Order: sequence, then structure tokens, then C-alpha cells
Amino acid sequence: MVAASAGRFSEAGQAQLAEIVSHYPDPGGAILPALWLAQREYGGWLPADAIAEVAARLGRPASEIQGVATFYTMYNTQQRGRRHIEVCTCLTCGCLGAYEVIDRLEQILGIHLGQTTADGEFTLTEAECLNYCEAATVVQVGERYFGGVNAENAADLVARLRGSEGCTPESLSNAIVEAIVPGRNAGATHG
Amino acid sequence: MAELQVLLQHRNVPGIDGIDVYESHGGYAGLRAALGKERQAVIDEVKASGLRGRGGAGFPTWIKWNGLPKSGSAQHYLLCNADEGEPGTFKDRELLLKLPHMVVEGMAIAAYATRSANGFVYVRGEFVESATQLRKAIDQAYRRGYLGRNILGRSDFCFDLHIHTGAGSYECGEETALMSSLMGERGQPRLKPPHGPLPVVSGVWGSPTLINNVETYACVPHILTHGGAWYAAMGTQRSPGTKIFSVSGHVARPGNYEIELGTPLTELIELAGGVVGGALKAVIPGGSSVPILPAEKCAGVTLDYEGCQAAGTMLGSGGFMVFNDKTDIVALMRRTAQFYAHESCGKCTPCREGTRWISRVLDRITAGAGRMEDIDLLLSICDQIDGRSYCPLGDAASWPIRAGIRNFRHEFEHWVRHGSSPIPGFVPPVRSHGPGPVPGRQE
Repeated sequence: MVAASAGRFSEAGQAQLAEIVSHYPDPGGAILPALWLAQREYGGWLPADAIAEVAARLGRPASEIQGVATFYTMYNTQQRGRRHIEVCTCLTCGCLGAYEVIDRLEQILGIHLGQTTADGEFTLTEAECLNYCEAATVVQVGERYFGGVNAENAADLVARLRGSEGCTPESLSNAIVEAIVPGRNAGATHG
Repeated sequence: MAELQVLLQHRNVPGIDGIDVYESHGGYAGLRAALGKERQAVIDEVKASGLRGRGGAGFPTWIKWNGLPKSGSAQHYLLCNADEGEPGTFKDRELLLKLPHMVVEGMAIAAYATRSANGFVYVRGEFVESATQLRKAIDQAYRRGYLGRNILGRSDFCFDLHIHTGAGSYECGEETALMSSLMGERGQPRLKPPHGPLPVVSGVWGSPTLINNVETYACVPHILTHGGAWYAAMGTQRSPGTKIFSVSGHVARPGNYEIELGTPLTELIELAGGVVGGALKAVIPGGSSVPILPAEKCAGVTLDYEGCQAAGTMLGSGGFMVFNDKTDIVALMRRTAQFYAHESCGKCTPCREGTRWISRVLDRITAGAGRMEDIDLLLSICDQIDGRSYCPLGDAASWPIRAGIRNFRHEFEHWVRHGSSPIPGFVPPVRSHGPGPVPGRQE
């Protein structure tokens, strides 16, 4: 186990963690948000050092933190492509063209479902219901949802992603941390 | 019949997600009305409304509220279940995105009524945009004195509200698994009565805990503003009020529709522009967990808790999926089974093993290698899961498969006999992975 002081959390990250811990009567409550924070601080995934740092900062065994991290699909215990394209193929999307979208994306990216492009730019996976069925087929990339994706416009989506800000595991994790931590102006009245 | 919008009435007003526009459209009047009453009178108002939980189970909301200790200094927790993950449902996502203050206000009213000083909204991890909107709303509500210390000048009412985000797990929508996840554990369920305590007796961190769905909280400000009797006058006697249905699939205008409970099922399809791409084949009215209804059983069904039950299905979460006659039901059931096999938390054997076996048998049938006895094998696996699993996920995995076979057995038999779909030209998707460990999920 590494000491927290040897970790990679930035000063801002440490302050955010302190704020998060204060929300819970027991530091255990902070494990999930701390993993989001760590996923941001470690560039979009959770290497063993990140797990160890969360464990050290919350005073828990690393095995416990690892056990939690591996339960949830959005914590990346393995590194992924910079753009993780998740195509919903659940009931509605699956009936409205999601599998054609996957076929097309496999073609464009030159990979199969579950793989990452050689340049590390894109990972393609199938998602369970993203609960935006009105816009089927729905694709999630990082913090963004894209609705109305079909085999015809899938290439545009990929082109758009190549040039866009955000939509990475890191920006997703950051957006979640920003949602968890109260706004600066509200801090004065938060108790 | 048209929509009857109570919650969604102002959803498209520009700026309604902000506190000023929300207030100018009657926002926070419900909280002010509540603070003018005794705490018990607020619970009685909710009782008079007849409001039932909108997360899927339809349990009377006031009974939960009334179950929390009413004296003493014990810490209470108020939780909002925003872990919307039921396939076909997207109402909570839109409520948080467009009307976050309505949820905050409903929670503040519940906090007052139940003497809860701390609350958490458990937002599904994927709903980043909704969580961001909720963050803004909570910060604004603090600044305006609707949250925090001495709310609206009342020294006896303090309520802090935090956001806790999930990280990808359908199971965490089950209320005891949600509590596990909030406390920093793997999202697995805990014992419930008769084997364990009710959350209102001992929930998170051993404290009395109230947990309601997003839509349930969003109903509360309206009930306090207009009165329980006003709310109860809508809908049916046993299923009062309005309900948001998330309509998707083969309809012209998919989206969220708020209608009075008791509205005929076929009218909701018409509201959504009718069936497209073919004739109606089937409807799943309440999310993937509820039994599928074939078209010939849809006539005369009313969308209320009792009406759906009488038709052999359930209202559930209101995830209303419409399928036309080009839909292969066996492939649909296979995709449903894949979902539950992926989302089973692994805690108990019937669900962990059973969901994967259902998925594998359906893989075999849709690969053209099914055997006639596989159909009864599926039913037998369903029997071994239903009522025997630790939490309702196992039940929910078995109900749709059983209903699929009951209503469309001939399609299963066609697949077995011919090794191909009864729908001309339909080829089931070939997945690059089977059930069990899948790419994108770390085991």
C-alpha cells in the first residue's frame, strides 16, 4: 500500500475529497465518489496505484476498494480507448437499428465489438439500456449521449468525436465529480 | 383523450430548470404550504392524495412516510432513487434534466414531514447531464433558503441534500442495493421483511431511512399546493393521479406522456402517433420486467395498477414499449435475458445461475440449434428463479420470459422446427460475446 502523501491526487482533488467525505456520517460512503475522483486524477482509469491511493486516503483496505471498483461497469480497472463508444442494443434500440449501427462502426473503426483501435483512440462496446429510448439508437461516449444514431450517420459521429473536446473517460469522471461537489457560491450556506 | 400534464406542464418553458422561472410558475409554493401545516398534516395530505410509489411497485407513499419515528433525536435519512435503469423507461432522466427543482422541492417537503435532516439523491452514473442540472438546482435552492439551515426562517427545520452518483449497475435501483451502494459497498441487496428490517426502521448506517422514486417526489409539491383531494380526483379510485409513461419503439412520436391513470392503453399508443412500420404486435407496458401483452389482449386494458394486473401484466415503471409485426419475439426475449444475465449482481444462486442459463438456451434457439424441450426447460428455469431469489431482480428476469412463451409459444416452436425466424428476412444479431463476462465489464 502506498501512503496517501505519495499519491497523485492534485490539491484541488484533495480538497474535493475532503468536501465529499463531509457529506457522509461514515467515510465508507465516500468510496464511490472517491473512485470517480481517482478515475479523473489518474487520466480516466483506475490502475492499482489509484486503488491504493483511495484506500490510503479513506483508511480502508485496498482489497475492499478493489472489490467495489470491479463491481461497477463505469469504473475502468483496465485502460480503454480515449473515446469509449457504447451503443445501446437493449430492447427499443435493438429493434430500431442498433445492431446495424454496430456493424457500421466496426467497419469504420476496423475493430470488433469489445476491442480498441490500435492507436488507442476508440473502444467499441455494447451497452445495456441507457434510458433515452425515445431517441433510439442511443450512443454514450464519455459524459455525452448521442440520440438518433443510425448506420447512415455513424460515420459523422466518429468524425465529430475525433475533433471534439471531452467525451473521454477522464472528462466523464470530472463531470461527475463536479456534480457531486457543491458549487462555490453555494458553499457558504452549505452546512 | 389528451394528456393531463401536472408534472410535465411546464417542461418546455425556457429556463424552467432555473429557480426564478420555476418560482414564477408556482415553484416552491408546495413547500411554503407544507410549512404552514403540522408535520403530521403534511403526511395526511399525501395520504388523502392516494399517491402510490412511481418507481414500479406502487406502494402507498404515505405509509412509508408515516413509518419513520416521530419523536426522539435519531438521525433520519431521506433518499431519492434516481437510478433509473429499467429498460424502456426514461421519465426520471427527463424530470431531473428539465424540472430538477420539482424533485428538490418534493424532497424538502418530505424532509419536513418526516424530520429528516439529511438527504441524498442517488443518480445513475450514466445520467451526467441530469446530475449536472440537479447540482445547479440544489445550489440555487441553498442560496434561496429552501435547503440548509433554518429553512424559510424555521429554526426547527434544517435539511442538507447531497448528490451520490452510481457507477453502472441496474441492481442499485433495488432499494436495499441502493443503500449498500450509498454506503460504499458493492451494489448488492440486503435482507428485507420478514427476514430483515424495513428501511424506515433501519436503513442506511442503521438509521431510519425513507426512499422514494424521482417521480414520486415530483408529485408531492403539487399535492401540497392544490390539496390531496384535488390529486385524488384524477385517475381512478385505487390508482389516483397522473403517471408519466415513457413511450418508445415502433411509434411515430416516442417520448414521455403524462396521462391520468385509468387511461385506455390504446389511447396512449394513439397519443404517441400510432404504430409505425406495420401493425401492432405487442406492448410491454411497464418496463422490461413486466409481462409482454400481445396485441389481441391490448383492447380494453386500462393503464392503472389494477387494470394492468387484470390483463396479466403490470404498470411497473411506465416504460411503455410498442412493437410492430416485424418484431421477432424470441429475439426480443433473448435480448431481455441478456440484460438480466448481465445485471444480476451475483449474490444469490438462483438469479446468478438462472439468468445466464436462460440467456444461453435462448442463444441456442436463435442460433437455429434449439430443441423442442428447450421451451419447457426455459419455463422450468423461470420457476426456479421466481420467488427464490434474494431480491426482485430474479423475479423480474423470469416474468418476461414466461409471458413471452405463454403468449408467443408458436414463435418459439417455429424457431426450433425451422432453425429460423417466423419473421421473413429477420436474422438475429450475432454477438461477439455470450452471457457471463462481457467486454466492457470487469469481472
